[in-house]
Amino acid sequence: MKDKSKKKEEQLAADAVTTSATDVQEISSLAEATKSTAAAEETIHLIVFKLGAEEYGIKIEQVKEVTVTPSVTRMPRTPDFIKGVANIRGDIIAIMDLEERFGIRPAPLTSDQNPNITYTLVIEARDYSIGVIVREVPQSLNLSMAKIDKAPSFLQDINIHANYIEGIAKVNERLIIVLDMYKILTQDEIQELKS
Amino acid sequence: MKSREQEYKEIFIAEALEYFDALNRLISELEKRPQDDQVLAEIFRMLHNLKANAKAIGYLQISDLSHKLETAFGLIRNKELSFSDEVVGVLFDGIDMLGELIGNIDGEFPVEPDQVLLRNLDIIVDSLSDSTIELAKVQKFSTSRNLTLSDLIYIQIRKLDHLMNLVGELIIDRDRILSLSRELDHDELKQVSSHLYRITEELQYSVMDARLVSIGTLFNKFPRVVRDIANAEKKEVDLELSGQDIQIDRNILQIMTDSLLHLVRNAITHGIEKPAEREKSGKPKTGNLELSARSDRESVVITLADDGKGIDLKKVRSAAVQQRMVSADVAEDLPDSEVFSFLFEPGFSMAKEVTEFSGRGVGLDVVKNAIDSIGGRIRVESEKGKGTTFTLQLPTSIAVKGALLFEVDSIFYAIPLIHTDSVVALDKDELHEVSDVLVADIKGETVTVVYLHELLNTGEPNMRLGDKTRLQGQVQNIIIVSYNNRKLGLIVDKLYRQQDIVVKPLSKPLDSIDLYGGVTLLGTGKVCLVLDVPAITKYFISKR
Repeated sequence: MKDKSKKKEEQLAADAVTTSATDVQEISSLAEATKSTAAAEETIHLIVFKLGAEEYGIKIEQVKEVTVTPSVTRMPRTPDFIKGVANIRGDIIAIMDLEERFGIRPAPLTSDQNPNITYTLVIEARDYSIGVIVREVPQSLNLSMAKIDKAPSFLQDINIHANYIEGIAKVNERLIIVLDMYKILTQDEIQELKS
Repeated sequence: MKSREQEYKEIFIAEALEYFDALNRLISELEKRPQDDQVLAEIFRMLHNLKANAKAIGYLQISDLSHKLETAFGLIRNKELSFSDEVVGVLFDGIDMLGELIGNIDGEFPVEPDQVLLRNLDIIVDSLSDSTIELAKVQKFSTSRNLTLSDLIYIQIRKLDHLMNLVGELIIDRDRILSLSRELDHDELKQVSSHLYRITEELQYSVMDARLVSIGTLFNKFPRVVRDIANAEKKEVDLELSGQDIQIDRNILQIMTDSLLHLVRNAITHGIEKPAEREKSGKPKTGNLELSARSDRESVVITLADDGKGIDLKKVRSAAVQQRMVSADVAEDLPDSEVFSFLFEPGFSMAKEVTEFSGRGVGLDVVKNAIDSIGGRIRVESEKGKGTTFTLQLPTSIAVKGALLFEVDSIFYAIPLIHTDSVVALDKDELHEVSDVLVADIKGETVTVVYLHELLNTGEPNMRLGDKTRLQGQVQNIIIVSYNNRKLGLIVDKLYRQQDIVVKPLSKPLDSIDLYGGVTLLGTGKVCLVLDVPAITKYFISKR
């Protein structure tokens, strides 16, 4: 298992390098900066992706792999945010669209984006895996735990989403919403799927 | 493959040798602590089992000797015989001889039990107080003893489950490789993959075979069950068993255990009448219950037939109306086969009183759900006054199923063959719009037909299941499925072949979606959804 997760990190980093080298440099210098200022400080490794216009992050321990979305077989009569099932290395897993799940307006396509290629984060929940579709290549980001505001006051203003939001990370000018994927699909919602 | 008889024999020998080892251990313990009742009880139990097993399979010498030893230990247990040196010697000899007999069942030179020893055993048993009779010397058996290990091993079913799952995955990959090798048209690859095909096929059948148990392991529990229920109900019932040798997957049998018990209870409490009542209606006093199994192509068919009072269709109709499952005028016109299907609806009950054994709110719907869960079918036939027959059609194996592949709206689907009745192609003009549904005359039977594309893909508010204009093309391919005595025609876009598929259960959170029994991977690597016929029928009824 250990080896696997190491490989996964390397692979993720490699993905990031090929696609957006500048971002990565920024990230790694940031990470180093945090490390040097407080070596004892706890850091957190996030996979960052965009939903709509905002950036979201998931702890790397919850991400099994990132891959170009394979062909997805639609499953009629399932909720809209379930895009269907896909065969990822012999495992057949559900593919979910978080933009639809949260009712987030999709961002308009930029000119350099290929509308036919999306990426899938394979999330390892407690007893199953699920795929999450994102449009842009996810990035890897190391930051200090201190940068995460665990309980921002505005969380009280929003009700349902609050469950999934573990905190808000502020890195330079960026604001990253950190999600707890284990809570993305609660028991209630699994029930809802039954319909 | 070995015959059943040979297999039973091997199992007996393995078990007997195990008993023999345990007996040796226990009697040595007993020698040190003659007062230990637990050890005595254990020895007694083992000898008793050994006697019964040996007798059942026809090894009378072993059963006789076990019986003698059992008697001796029984006396020791009741303190009528002391565990003295002389007695100990005889008992050790006896157990050694037991080992010798068991070990030589398959030997070239059958061993005869030593008459002197048998006499000695009789002496210690018969002449309790008077131990003056000289015990004769016996030739020692233990001199020629070899240490042997059993040819049988016990294995947890979950290990076999795991093995079966792995084989399932292997088959999926094999099919993929096979199809790739055809695409690439590479001779050597084709050769290797066809060899791979044969090996995996053999592997699959070996694993499936290892999981098979004979249905008798369950059936043989019923004589006692029937006796108890009949006694409590003050009824007389004869149980006839047949087909105990039929083989079925152990897990399927496990899932069916409660259902079968439920059906048997029902048959005795609600089916078979009290003796007086039976005589009045000209039937023999003793009711007859037949539990039988037979193989039918890929499935095992279990039937349970009683000659009781049968199911009163009129009462079922009125109970269904009463419980608001159907309106009164519709109930009048329903064909009998559909009326029977109410019996399997959740919450449906005809029992007026609760007895110890049935009518505790657990209905036939539970039985039906159990059978649905393994992809089987249940059917009931009944004639008032004559009796009721339940027919359960069960797959022999859970993992691999014959299925029909088809396509709707560019998605591949499969339906397990156990649920399909037939496949027909009909012209659009042969389909008729009747109220909200389409119907067709199929081999003289009016069958409701539904366009799967409409049922699966049209937004629920716009769904129009009785609208022929939604159909595409002139000729319609229809798969007739059957569930709960109801037939339903499913119109599909393209019909493909029949194929053995390995059904993978859907992983969470999709496993709660009833419409799909699972998925399978086609040779092309494409995902194919396995439609659950019970769920699709229920969904159709709810949208009609």
